[in-house]
Amino acid sequence: MRRVVITGLGAVSSFGLSAETLWQGLISGKSGIGPLTIFNAASFPSRIAGIVPPFKTTDYVPKSYRKATKIMARDIELAVIAADGAVRSARLATRGMIETFGGPQALPAGWKTVDPTRIGCNIGAGLICADLNEMTSALVKARNPDLSLNLATWGHSAEPGKTSGMENLTPLWLLKYLPNMLACHVSIIHDTQGPSNTITCGQASAGLALMEACRTIQRGNADVALVGGCESVTHPVGLMRWSLLNRLTTTGNEDPAHACKPLDKAASGTVIGEGGAVLVLEDLESARTRGAVIYAEIAGLGASATGQPAGQCDSTGESMAYAIKKALGEAAIGPDDVNMIIPPGYGIPATDAADIKAIHQVFSSRPNPWVVGLRGATGDCGAGSQALDIVAAAMAVHQQTVPPGINTLHPLDSINVPHTPQTGIQLHHVLVAASSMAGQNSTVVLKKYV
Amino acid sequence: MRNRVVITGMGWVTPLGQTLQDVWQRLTSGESGIAPITLFDARTFPTTFAAEVKNFQLPQRFVRSGRHREISRATGFSLEAARQAWMQAGLPEADSPAADIDPYQVGIYLGSGDAALDFVPFTGTAISSWDDAASCLDTTKWGTRALSVFNALREIEQEPCMPANHLSMEFNARGPAFNCLTACAASTQALGEAAEIIRRGDAQVMISGGAHSMIHPFGVTGFNRLTALSTFNDNPSRACRPFDATRGGFVIGEGAGMLILESLQHAQKRGAGILAEIVGYGSSADAYRVTDQHPEGRGAVVAIREALRDAGMQPEDIHYINAHGTGTKENDSTETQAIKTVFGPHARQVPISSIKSMMGHLIAAAGAVEAITCVLAIRDGILPPTANYSVPDPECDLDYVPNTARPARVDVAMSNSFGFGGQNDTLIVRRFVN
Repeated sequence: MRRVVITGLGAVSSFGLSAETLWQGLISGKSGIGPLTIFNAASFPSRIAGIVPPFKTTDYVPKSYRKATKIMARDIELAVIAADGAVRSARLATRGMIETFGGPQALPAGWKTVDPTRIGCNIGAGLICADLNEMTSALVKARNPDLSLNLATWGHSAEPGKTSGMENLTPLWLLKYLPNMLACHVSIIHDTQGPSNTITCGQASAGLALMEACRTIQRGNADVALVGGCESVTHPVGLMRWSLLNRLTTTGNEDPAHACKPLDKAASGTVIGEGGAVLVLEDLESARTRGAVIYAEIAGLGASATGQPAGQCDSTGESMAYAIKKALGEAAIGPDDVNMIIPPGYGIPATDAADIKAIHQVFSSRPNPWVVGLRGATGDCGAGSQALDIVAAAMAVHQQTVPPGINTLHPLDSINVPHTPQTGIQLHHVLVAASSMAGQNSTVVLKKYV
Repeated sequence: MRNRVVITGMGWVTPLGQTLQDVWQRLTSGESGIAPITLFDARTFPTTFAAEVKNFQLPQRFVRSGRHREISRATGFSLEAARQAWMQAGLPEADSPAADIDPYQVGIYLGSGDAALDFVPFTGTAISSWDDAASCLDTTKWGTRALSVFNALREIEQEPCMPANHLSMEFNARGPAFNCLTACAASTQALGEAAEIIRRGDAQVMISGGAHSMIHPFGVTGFNRLTALSTFNDNPSRACRPFDATRGGFVIGEGAGMLILESLQHAQKRGAGILAEIVGYGSSADAYRVTDQHPEGRGAVVAIREALRDAGMQPEDIHYINAHGTGTKENDSTETQAIKTVFGPHARQVPISSIKSMMGHLIAAAGAVEAITCVLAIRDGILPPTANYSVPDPECDLDYVPNTARPARVDVAMSNSFGFGGQNDTLIVRRFVN
């Protein structure tokens, strides 16, 4: 069986536009959550979010691809930026990178090419929401007096030569919002012609994408894969959805940095966020041959379904415990060997309780590993959440440092949550577990590469 | 040593009917499921017709369970299609005392699309919150309205992973659960990856396929703006003309196809009837443009070659190709080119047909119903035709089984699916031989 390692990390989060800023933010112990200022959220009960700092997508694509950024929804832009970071940190001389540097000769030392047909791309995505302003500016041209949409007018121009309906949308409108466009744009920019997929399983997407890409490499269908997930939930429709689903804290508006308290006795709900990550997975031999930095090795993977209705968690923790055991089994390790866990940790009392149940089913009566929930720092970024968690896990393994559990001051039931970065310890294995609102679970065990 | 993967159950809900036999009978008779749109008033749209699932009613067992309220059309289709497949596979009811299957050995991998359940509240709140003077949406106003008119459950039921969620509940499937959405390639990719999960031994049984409906105002708007749809409004049943020189776009359809995949060992142990075996799967990306396929079908060539390599087969081993065959100018000539590139001289010997000519394009669900078609062609020794074929196109000069079904011995069939954005997938199924 081929061994698969992580050789590149790219992330976008409320802390910044790189894996490094994410890690520094987490280590600092400060939250990236702030007031929701990118639109007027005054009428919503929750008015805080984890927003990615301002960026220009054109800074992250080769010159020849700048025009294409016009048809990227924000989720796509985040993926393009994360992929740029991942490919740079892996020092992979993809088509996009060669153009960006100005030709193969201009590449810094140590950058190597990989056969594009041997590079896969598997990026999880959410249900991308149409931009309300763009959409409504077209809809109002076909409105009835009662302010409903007049489908007859929407369908065609009422007067010849005048556009009154759907013509007001750019011809490529649909392509901005197809979830597979995250992977498609990334695959075009970096010329990855190997297997490409788009997993759409909410917050479990990135782990499932990583699992699938890892299998692709293990069975020899690719040597390298760009994997992860990105989503922006920080728009009015996302805020409306999360609000109606009663997921959000409404008591933290005055103190955003401490609003979301993962796995804490005072948890009162999660916070919307945006972001995600792309990682470079690579066959160990390929990585060794080109002298790549190895952040961590993929040790084991698991997946399961809760079988519960959407929005309701598996309160027994059984299905998640199964997925965790599955990943430990593949890693050929026991619970004692896990030094740190990043659980879903939404900061929603019911789901946090389910997380704890699952953890106790696997790790009970043993020296407890560190448990670190990240949603208080980054917010819930949908399909991007687990991708951020996996990057954090890879950095933890690589740096041999456990980041503090931001906002978990009074942890639930006897879990060990560090309040400061923990160094000087051996971090052999880190478990990342995610559970989506629609009942998909995915687990990833990373290990220190030796 | 990887597990062999067999198909033990199939079900579909399509514009041509809702049972395995009815739909197959209509497909092999060259019937069309395409007609004017009834799901919304599309009379002034550039395209006024589609391939709708007619008179769909959620079976009583699903209504009674109370677990499937506020579901999308696609989720309803997926439940019924999976019920058919589950029954045909002879799997026990989840709540029956005889059920001795470990629920964690039953996984789900769908290629299902998102739904549009909130069209009315979405358009209503958006238009009524528009500030004409400022020429932008007043989000404060919108928020107040939206929080009172949107339905939380319906919002989440629009997510593409919801069919998988409902199948998981209904069939007590607790194993690996995936949904992929690679546009028109999604359910072929789902079947291929589901097969890989069984091959590795990560599950013994997978419910796999896809469900989708984009026959709603924004779905048709999106494809009309891309000028991808046929606009032969005067003659809907003749509107989709794959490989024909006069082809002018695809016809949007809806439905679901579900298959039960099983490890051979598991199927044999419980004495299940085996319908066919999945022997090859290939996947690739064009990495070319989001708006166009690679002109030489570079990615399609890789997907087809990879599937052949995976199956350990040569082009001569393929007896039938179920084409992606959308009826767009670009797809059909590119697909033809790709088949020629891989198959060489044998390209002229292998019959190719597109059931989209009759059933429309089920988008994410297309690959699943096409995989089922391949299995039925193997079972009955008959190839469904490419309907509406009359004017040969010099760029499409292969054997497309024009207009009339053809008897033929089929032991191995290939199904191609290519998505908007450049993700390509090919599946090969073979008559089961122990």
